[in-house]
Parts: sequence; C-alpha cells; structure tokens
Amino acid sequence: MTVVKLLLNKNNIFVTFSFFILLFFSFGSFFISFPHDPYVTDIANRLLEPNETYIFGTDEVGFDVFSRTIVAGKIDLFISLSGTIVALIIGLPLGLLASEKTRRAERIMKVLDMFQAFPLLVLAIVIVAMWGNNIRNVIFAIILINVPRFTRLIRSEALTVREKRFIEVATAMGGSNSRIIFKHLMPNILGTLLAQASITTAHSIVVVAALSFIGIGVVPPEASWGSMIRAGSQYMTTGQWWTSLFPGLAILVCVLSFNTISQFILRKYESL
Amino acid sequence: MLKIIFKKLIFIPIASFIVSSLAFLVVNVTPGDPVEVIAGGIASEETKNEIRAELGLDKNLSERYLSYLNDLSEGSLGSSFYTKVPVLESINQYLFDTFELIIMSLIIALLLGFIFGSLGAYFRGKFPDKISNLILSVIQAVPDFFLGLLLIYFLFFKLQLVPAPVGRLGLLDLPPEEVTGGLLIDSIIAGNWDTFKIGLKHAILPSITLGIFYSSYFGRTTRNVLGNALNSNQVEFAKALGLSKLRVFLYALVDARTPIITYIAILFAGLFGASAIIETVFAWNGIGGWAIDKILMLDIPAIQGFILFAGLITLFTYTFLDILITFIDPRIRKNTL
Repeated sequence: MTVVKLLLNKNNIFVTFSFFILLFFSFGSFFISFPHDPYVTDIANRLLEPNETYIFGTDEVGFDVFSRTIVAGKIDLFISLSGTIVALIIGLPLGLLASEKTRRAERIMKVLDMFQAFPLLVLAIVIVAMWGNNIRNVIFAIILINVPRFTRLIRSEALTVREKRFIEVATAMGGSNSRIIFKHLMPNILGTLLAQASITTAHSIVVVAALSFIGIGVVPPEASWGSMIRAGSQYMTTGQWWTSLFPGLAILVCVLSFNTISQFILRKYESL
Repeated sequence: MLKIIFKKLIFIPIASFIVSSLAFLVVNVTPGDPVEVIAGGIASEETKNEIRAELGLDKNLSERYLSYLNDLSEGSLGSSFYTKVPVLESINQYLFDTFELIIMSLIIALLLGFIFGSLGAYFRGKFPDKISNLILSVIQAVPDFFLGLLLIYFLFFKLQLVPAPVGRLGLLDLPPEEVTGGLLIDSIIAGNWDTFKIGLKHAILPSITLGIFYSSYFGRTTRNVLGNALNSNQVEFAKALGLSKLRVFLYALVDARTPIITYIAILFAGLFGASAIIETVFAWNGIGGWAIDKILMLDIPAIQGFILFAGLITLFTYTFLDILITFIDPRIRKNTL
C-alpha cells in the first residue's frame, strides 16, 4: 500500500511515470493486440517510412518496427532484471564477507581488483560468443560483470556502517555475527543496495543491447532493441532513420526510468 | 618516496601473472565446444579433430595452461587460428589507431565534461546546474553506438559536414607509409598534410561520439569534486581575502586535481575495451574492432591475446596513476608512508 501511496503523491510524478513506462515495456506486449504480427515480415513493404498503417515504419526485411519495439522490451528487460537480481544475490554475501577484517576478505578484494582490469563489455561479448547464442548465456554474462560491482559497493557500505556506534554496542552486548549482519547491517545498506540495483539494471539494458547490436545474444527473428538498431544501422547513411531510432529511444526511456527510480530510492532512504 | 614507488612496482609481476591466468581461464573454460562452432554443423568428426589438434584443444587444461605460460615467457601470444599472423603483430598494427581515437575522444570528453561539471559545481542547485545535470543524465542513458548512428544521420546525411563513415580515410585515399601504425601520426611523420587533414575529418564522428558519451561520467565527477572544493574552508578564506572569482575558482581546481586525474586515467584504460563497438560502427580498423571480428570468428589465440593485452594496459595505467598521484598530492604521500 505504501508503494501505491508514494506513487500517487504528485511530488513523485516522474517516478510514477518511470514506473509505468517500465511496466508497459515489461508486460505491455501481453495485452496489446498489434495491428501487425511482430514476427511476420511484410516482404512487399520493406523500409517503409512511418505512415498510417505502419506508425513506426518497417525495417529492411519488412518487420513492423512499432510492434517489435514493444515486444523487444519483454526480453531485454527480463534479461537485464534477472541478471541484476542474481548478481545481487551472489554479491551480497561476498560483499559482507569482504567487509570483515580478515585475510580472506583481503583476498576476495584482490581477486576482484584483478578481474576489473579487463574490459567488462568485451568479456561479456567473449562469453556469449564462445558459450553460444542464447538468453541463458547473456544472463550469465550480465551476472559475471555485475557481481564485482555489487561486492565492492556492499563492502564499502558495510565498512562504513560497521564503524557506527550501534554496531559496537551490539557486539559489546554479545550479539552474534549473524544477528549483527541481519539485524543491524542489512537494514542500513538496503537503500543504497536497491538504488544500485536499479542503476545496474539500466546499465545491463545497454550491455544486452550492445551484444545484440554486434549480432550475438538475442538474435533475429527474436526481437531485441540492439538487433533492431543493428538492422537499421547501415540505412542511417542513406537517411532511413526509423528502424534504428525507435528501439534506440526505447532503450533511452527505460534507462532514464531506472535512473529516476534509483535516485528516488536514494532520496527516500536518506530522509529516513 | 622511492619506497612507495618500489612497493607499487614490485606488485606488477605478481599482478601480471594473475591477469594472464585469468585471461587464459576466460577463454579456455567453456561449457560448450568451440570447435563445433568453428567447424560448423556439417563438418565431419575428422575435420573437428584436426581443428582440435591445431588449436591444442586435444590436450587437457593444465597442459594447455603450461604451454600458454611457456609461450608467454618467450614473449609470444600465439598466432591467429585462421590467418596464422602472430597476435602480437596484429596488436602492434592496430594499437596506434585505437590510441589516436582514444586520445581525441578523451580531449573532447574532458572539455565537455569540464564545462558541464564546472557549471554544475559553480552554480550548485541553481538553474545552470539543473540544466547541465539534465543534459548529463540524458547523455549517460544513450547507448554509445546509438549516439554514433544518430550523429551519422545528422552530421553526415542531413548536414553533410563530415565524410561518410567508411573508415579512417575515404575509399580512394592512400594511407601514408607505415611507421607506428597510427594513421594520423604516420602522416605527420611523412609530412603528408593532405592525408592528415582527410584522416582528421574521418576522425570527427567517432571521436565526438565517444567524447560526448564519456563527458557525462567526467562531468559528474568534476561537479562533485569541484563542488566540494568550492565549499571548503580554504576557498572561503580565499574569498574573504577578496581574491577575484577566477582566482578562487583556480585554487579550488588545484585542490580537486587528484580525483580528476584519477578519473582521466580510469577513462583512458576503460576506453581500450569500450571503444570496440564504436570502432565497428565507424569501420575504424583499431584494436577493438579487430578484437570483435576475432571474437565473432572464435579465433581463440587472438581473443586470449587481446584480453591479456587489455588487462595489462589497465594494470600498467593504474600503477602509473598511483605513482603519479603520490608525486602530485602530498596528502596521499603522508597516508601511505
């Protein structure tokens, strides 16, 4: 209920708007009956400029850009969200472990530092290319490049909280390690964590798009924003802008929405 | 002082070893069989075995790892599976092209980021800050390859300000004699100013694409760091002394130098991987575009070589940065001693 109340507050109009945009791209394709099937090509009408029947135009093989832009959201957002959530689930215990003052913690951080020396986007491309083009491997790549980020963030947050007086008191009163972590540490880093998860999802959308843009991961006939931009990319030099523009704008809008939500979460937790 | 530098440098061999091991693992520990993909679905078992033998995939993981380390100790990264060109030679050939792109993009990113960031910091909370924040948010949300395509449409197709995105030169232009492999540097060395001009024109689109994209990160850092410096006690003191606004701003800038330099180094190292997709969009023929081609062909030695190389570049950049910072920032020198 509190969520609904927050969304209805007129100070949060942008947040509400963002929330609905993301809902629309995630589930909209299940409810809308498209005038043109997103998976059927209209060979006779290729590269058609936006008009009354095809409001976003058609691409080089005659796919309807409008319906595919919406259908693509379902897959792209699913991959980004699930990858982020799993990365968070793995990164949380790792980060909490690394925030202890032990040798093991130091080692975890050393390995992570080394890992981050690699260009992560290229690493994601290598993984998907070598392991095969399917959604599972794209999700795996997203998890792999995001686990170090979460671990690092959770560690630094936990380190600051551990310095606080109430942790000292809890330890002095004989609180067990797990009690301190779950009762005292977790609630205090939750806000930053959720905010970061939202930003990471936004970033993952771009990574997924980059993968399909170079032709791996989610590939046609399956619709994804990256592969749609790829299909239109060569026509930008000859002026057929619509195939690439609309999926690109969809990415832009979704990323902005996740960022807005992230800032909102941070604000809420800071004011608490 | 020397002790700090020594401490940082002694870490390099160990770190290089870990980086090279990780590069090996990433490429060699795969659930599927890359040979299936290389050979294609219809290849016979015999062909597949031949490919396996040639790539050394018939041996087990530890044997492969040892021979990889052995090659590395002799300074070899192996040769491309398809073209047989040594990987190091290809890296050498394409490195300077990417280097030129990165330098130009960095300059643009720094200029733009600095303008937006200082506007935001100086007018914190006021109208210019809000505008620059809005612009930076939007820039940050656009995928760089999409931004590149938009710029192609507007600057090339609509306004015809720049040449077609067909590579480093026009289709009929001759490249200068190869010295470093970097086209712009080579044409300066050859004294060939016409080629230099053409090359520079072709560099406009990719470098402003990357420049705009990365200006958002740099702009945010500058805003925060400079903003803190502008609110510090010493700036207040400088203002109280009646120094001019510009002078006070410059003092704040000196105070904020360490994080800003750190960010430049991080962007520099990061761009070696991040420029890859932009290089393919603009047919730039740099090391990133080369790597993506090789990855899509599953050219295992080349992929391994590139990942290792990129890892080492980051490692060396960061070490150099650490040393540089201890030189220019006495505060950090005190803390590490």
